[in-house]
Amino acid sequence: MTGTAIEAAALSKTYGRRAPALHDCTFRLPAGRICAVVGPNGAGKSTLLALAAGLARPTAGRLTVLGTTPAAARARLAYVAQDKPLHPQLSVADTLRLGAELNPGRWDAALAGRVVAEGEVDPGVRVRALSGGQRTRVALALALGKRAELLLLDEPMADLDPLARHQLMGTLMAQAAEHGTTVVMSSHIVGELADSCDQLLLVSGGRIRLGGPIDDLLAAHSLVTGRRPAAGLAPHTVVESRASGRGTTALIRPAGPVDAGWEAREPSLEDLLLAHLRSPDAPALLTEDASPATGNEVTA
Amino acid sequence: MSTPLLNGPRGLDNNPRGFLNGPRGFLKGPRWVELRLHRTALRATLAALLLAAALTVFLRWGASAYPPVDVDCFGPCEPTFLGFADGEHLLREAMNKASHALLLLPLLVGFFVAGPYTARELESGTHQLAWTQSVTPARWLASRLTTAAALSTGFALAAMAVFRFGSADLRGSWNMSWADRGVYEGSGPVLVAYCLFAVAVGTLTGLLVRRTLLAASLTGLVTGAVLAVLGSVRWQLWPVVQVSGPATTMEPHWIKARPPGSFMTDTGVTNAAGERFIARQCTPDQMAHFPCPSDTRITGWFLDYHPRSHFWYTQFVETGIVLALAAAAAYAAFRVLRRRTA
Repeated sequence: MTGTAIEAAALSKTYGRRAPALHDCTFRLPAGRICAVVGPNGAGKSTLLALAAGLARPTAGRLTVLGTTPAAARARLAYVAQDKPLHPQLSVADTLRLGAELNPGRWDAALAGRVVAEGEVDPGVRVRALSGGQRTRVALALALGKRAELLLLDEPMADLDPLARHQLMGTLMAQAAEHGTTVVMSSHIVGELADSCDQLLLVSGGRIRLGGPIDDLLAAHSLVTGRRPAAGLAPHTVVESRASGRGTTALIRPAGPVDAGWEAREPSLEDLLLAHLRSPDAPALLTEDASPATGNEVTA
Repeated sequence: MSTPLLNGPRGLDNNPRGFLNGPRGFLKGPRWVELRLHRTALRATLAALLLAAALTVFLRWGASAYPPVDVDCFGPCEPTFLGFADGEHLLREAMNKASHALLLLPLLVGFFVAGPYTARELESGTHQLAWTQSVTPARWLASRLTTAAALSTGFALAAMAVFRFGSADLRGSWNMSWADRGVYEGSGPVLVAYCLFAVAVGTLTGLLVRRTLLAASLTGLVTGAVLAVLGSVRWQLWPVVQVSGPATTMEPHWIKARPPGSFMTDTGVTNAAGERFIARQCTPDQMAHFPCPSDTRITGWFLDYHPRSHFWYTQFVETGIVLALAAAAAYAAFRVLRRRTA
């Protein structure tokens, strides 16, 4: 088993008297992967990333980042918040200087400068004058310049046009591949993740619904169609079943070979995610890769 | 052209090694960020100070070049200096206003520290940027507190020096006595203490309220309230000198007993039992709403005052109280931050 980037045990976070943003979450994210944290708006994705970045304290449970507490891992992780907060009055060059000043001994000025230059952003221009894509690029340059082992990106590509999204994703993936960085990014857009991510964490209603390598998760499910009621799928775990045409379409976790009367195929990532989001009561599934190791747990 | 002070690099990979700018210089890490972010406010404050200093020099020159004309004039006197009777008159007016303006300094410091300096970071989310770099949030807070404290102390001292220079020849005159409000605060360490209090309370409020305008206004309110409350109780913080004697004549004895330059806090008469009251209010008949003893036969007089020598005692006691409040607010700010971040 490879190293662990993030490990959560019974993690909960409640803001004030509201319903918990995260409730009893247990999962593991292996290091060196590109992981997508997917879920609808308000699912708890941002809370999860903020907790990992040390910007908030868990209400209950434990969160281990890069083998230690989020506070102790602060220098080794980088975080880009959803709305890319940057100081509007600073120039791009001064924004990068800020990165250098606040990360002494870690800062890679050449790398940060290259990321900015690739987007043809003028270093002298003020942040408030940047377009959305340029702004995201500068925020990303600030995160990459830190040479972090773990990049936490909250909805990094939301509100970008497809071209800027493609460009920035390219930059990000190239850097991650070159330095073996673990990238965890949240999104509610499935399309932007399918190509670049190999690991998935589905969050909804503050709970972890699915976790593991995307390929393993897809292989663990079957999309079956047949001219009979869903009750006939008894030994298998039915995630969701719907009447379609004159029969039934269901997403199942096969417990063995499926009866001949059913036509089975592997679901797409979108089928998988939507089926789970539409059936909040379906049991969660964590692959072995995404489950915390019970043997070598760090004792608090 | 770029100015060397507080200026970032123009290119991406040049690494300037200036006076304050070098990697080993004083200006690095979070301190560089704080000063760079608020460069405009810093420059504006410096400009305002220079303007105040220049104006004061000009007014003092006017006061010495156009002294009061010692002539009885019928009707309005001929103005000699910018429409005023004389230059000293203008200087006196300006310094009287300046003594009150000095009281606004802690309010301005609190307003700025709470609003644009602290709450705006939390309102716009840039605190997330600061707290996820390699510098811990606690060091971030410590750095910004010390930067704000050092700068506001410097500005307060400079403003006090300008006021001292402008009012040097007017000290002790009407509205310019050492105990007058504004003059008192502006000539001792209490003003610096109030500025430090404003920094600490502003930081705490900014962290708690997280709304620029609301935090700034609240801090101005709190600082003003503390300034007003302590200003009204400060003369009770150090025991007054009490003098008394038998009432033998009708003339007010205390006038002779009061040393020049002292600040009178209370005076009146006493009866045989030593109970204090004001003669006018209680004799020959008791006036409504005034406290009077049952025996209103005057046997003696009394006078309470603070001599000029009490200045430093009252200043240090008040400074101590304000600094203790500031320390409590700063401690609370660290606690709030600790609770909020991992």
